[in-house]
Amino acid sequence: MENERGREKLIKWAVKSPLTYRLLRPVLDLLTRKNDNEPFKIWVRFLLDAMNNSYARKQPVVWMSAFTPSEIAYGMGYVPFMPEIIASVVTYLGKSKGPIALANAYASSDLCSFHRCALGLVMEDYLPKPDLIISSSYLCEGANKFFHYLASYYRCPHLMVDAPYRGGSAAKKYVADQLKELVDKSSRLLGLVPDMSVMSQALELSNKARAYIAEINRLRRSRPSPFPGSEGLSYLAGMVFYSLGSKWGVDFFKTLHLSLEQKVAKGEGYLPEEKYRLLWLHHIRPYYKNEIFKILEEKKAAVSFEETNYLYWPALEPSKPYESLADKIISNIWAGSLERRVHAIEEMVEEYDIDGVIHFSHWGCRQSCGGAAVVGDVLKQKGLPYIVLPGDGADPDNFSPGQTRTRLEALIEMLG
Amino acid sequence: MGKRIYAGIDIGSLSSEAVILGENGILGYSVRNTGADPQRVAQECMEEALARANVAKEDVLSIVATGYGRIRVPFADREITEITCHAKGAHFLFPETRTVIDIGGQDSKVITLDERGAVTDFAMNDRCAAGTGRFLEVMATALETKLSELGQRSLEAKKGVPISSMCTVFAESEVISLIAEGKRREEIMRGLHEAISSRVYRMAKKLRVKKEITFTGGVAKNQGIVKALEVLFKMPVNVPDEPQIVGALGAALYARSAGPRAR
Repeated sequence: MENERGREKLIKWAVKSPLTYRLLRPVLDLLTRKNDNEPFKIWVRFLLDAMNNSYARKQPVVWMSAFTPSEIAYGMGYVPFMPEIIASVVTYLGKSKGPIALANAYASSDLCSFHRCALGLVMEDYLPKPDLIISSSYLCEGANKFFHYLASYYRCPHLMVDAPYRGGSAAKKYVADQLKELVDKSSRLLGLVPDMSVMSQALELSNKARAYIAEINRLRRSRPSPFPGSEGLSYLAGMVFYSLGSKWGVDFFKTLHLSLEQKVAKGEGYLPEEKYRLLWLHHIRPYYKNEIFKILEEKKAAVSFEETNYLYWPALEPSKPYESLADKIISNIWAGSLERRVHAIEEMVEEYDIDGVIHFSHWGCRQSCGGAAVVGDVLKQKGLPYIVLPGDGADPDNFSPGQTRTRLEALIEMLG
Repeated sequence: MGKRIYAGIDIGSLSSEAVILGENGILGYSVRNTGADPQRVAQECMEEALARANVAKEDVLSIVATGYGRIRVPFADREITEITCHAKGAHFLFPETRTVIDIGGQDSKVITLDERGAVTDFAMNDRCAAGTGRFLEVMATALETKLSELGQRSLEAKKGVPISSMCTVFAESEVISLIAEGKRREEIMRGLHEAISSRVYRMAKKLRVKKEITFTGGVAKNQGIVKALEVLFKMPVNVPDEPQIVGALGAALYARSAGPRAR
């Protein structure tokens, strides 16, 4: 018992010490020196750097919901910390069950498991304390309430960006005004003077990354599929959420672009043989150990693209940060009416020459699951095989391996 | 020219079936409880079906396995999901079938198919075994009656007692409470069947259900549920003579259409 407590204390100390992440960097570099997946290695280094900065607290640490543009934090010189992304990494490392079980004592089990995992980590005091919390109202309805609760838990200020249901110039002004207010308020709260040249620089870096993302998405139309959907839903999506506006983002997307360019030039696919091309709907996949992508691989079915990596926003204007970030927010295909999302999905089906569609249905996620039937109706009318795959991104207890296999295999059998 | 004989084997969660198929139809079949060892039951099921068909194992040209335990049949040449196999089997028995309702031991499915018997869409229950064969087994025990008598007895009731919970554990407590309140057992049985059928009907509403509907799986033997489904869907429901073997039959049909295994 005493030993167990001592071990836990030591682990917590290591997790919360910036030194751990600085030491891990050369160790992991050494261990992965033979791994030629350079983009993945950049993701790992980026995460280590983010953890180091978050625990070192040399700059204000601002917790952000995943759908809030990260450019704001980088442009303000804050250290962004995204608990939802960290929860997915914790899940990937096989450590989500404990925090989720702890959070279940405080929150409804209907709450998103990524939020419950993060809540458990908060309760266990594993995470760096926030100086400020910023969340956004669009896409994830639960996020605002979750972050509001965390703000009261940490007794820190919470600022929120509200996006209207419909776009247009009035909506753009409404969001741009909020962003300006957010920058003013957060500077006042944290005792900083905003430097708009740094903000412009963050937008320029975001644009550079965006240009590579556009090229990456174009290359992913190639047959055979050059990049695995399982990775598109993990570190690639993670970098889109977390790194835009930083040099890390540019470096990552540039490296990934180069790697895909080489693969496409050689006609290399990520599967030994590709018979079917699938589209994955939803921002996430289960991150704990599971066989979804192995089953698809056995059936020669490639996840050629994921809707989360759809490039929905126009290039930003560094001289007009509020307006262009507002534009980015209101262009989001998952915010507002379902027609916009359906239209984008139809475009992806066309562009990526898709044979079948999997809509992952993450437990407790209203924003995506609510539209699954409507999306399905549209795709089925086009004669496209479509399944809803129920599961949970972070909670392995909410996942049924046998039923998942049957659903996936039945989809492949429908493809003929 | 040798005999053209094929086999299908369906390893379900509660029961397993094997069908031996010749050129002119079913030669023999077997139905057994799955138990804890799917590999052993697959072997036993196959041997029993072969014996009934009076066919030697060597004469079987190809075997397809289906059901949740399909990946645990070492002697199968191919695995196909029960969704695809039930559609194929139901279409073989009733060629006008465009919708299959399959309620097995631990799950229920609604499948739509085209005029060739190929699956066009499907819906299935998720994680929970509410309203399946196992559910009925537990309720039969609570009602102190045989599982095989539930259907017929429920038809004797003029109305069903509403059952609010479909969770096996909670529904069992509810049934016991209703018995204690003095409700007629036949009315409770009818209420259970109506609740199960309503659950399947809601699942079917996700799809474009077309006639004819064929009901497969062990629960199709329950006439009370057949009747309740006919009321809800407002159309007659086909029930095969042996609804439990439809998945294995579909598997055998796929084995036959693929031809002999490569030797």
